[in-house]
Amino acid sequence: MMTYGEQAEGDVRTWRMEKSGKRERREREWYSYLHRQGCQQPTTNTVEEPLDLIRLSLDERIYVKMRNDRELRGRLHAYDQHLNMILGDVEETVTTVEIDEETYEELYKSTKRNIPMLFVRGDGVVLVAPPLRVG
Amino acid sequence: MSLRKQTPSDFLKQIIGRPVVVKLNSGVDYRGVLACLDGYMNIAIEQTEEYVNGQLKNKYGDAFLRGNN
Repeated sequence: MMTYGEQAEGDVRTWRMEKSGKRERREREWYSYLHRQGCQQPTTNTVEEPLDLIRLSLDERIYVKMRNDRELRGRLHAYDQHLNMILGDVEETVTTVEIDEETYEELYKSTKRNIPMLFVRGDGVVLVAPPLRVG
Repeated sequence: MSLRKQTPSDFLKQIIGRPVVVKLNSGVDYRGVLACLDGYMNIAIEQTEEYVNGQLKNKYGDAFLRGNN
């Protein structure tokens, strides 16, 4: 029988379990499924989920792709399970396509702005990655 | 690969480590090796390449995709 302490191994999982009951039950079911399958879950060798790997990028510069053709580059100060984020020293790029009515050619424009400290709501986030090295 | 109960969870465990194609609702394609995923379908992929109409960006290392997309 698992104790709450065993279940709550890993900071991310503990924190998440304090949130809403539905999510807590879903997390518990997923975790108990792994235990039933006989998975050993020692301290830091647990199967890491994507959010654990994002944790490795804390305080690093990252690239974030968002809905509505927006991109952000900044330093990741904080994040949560919704992918709400706090970014510092960010540069936001908004890309638009203008179409010439006569020639029908597509003109790609991008607008940039710099923001010292930014809160990003997670539902707009599509992708998170280390900054691009053009290849 | 025979189908049993709990197939979605088992499938998710099976495909970890394999090259995959992830297609988002927006139509953008990401190809790479599946590093891990969770119950919300948040995904971490390595060696990601992004395809829209042609190849656009190369992402080396990990790329994280939010599950709702």
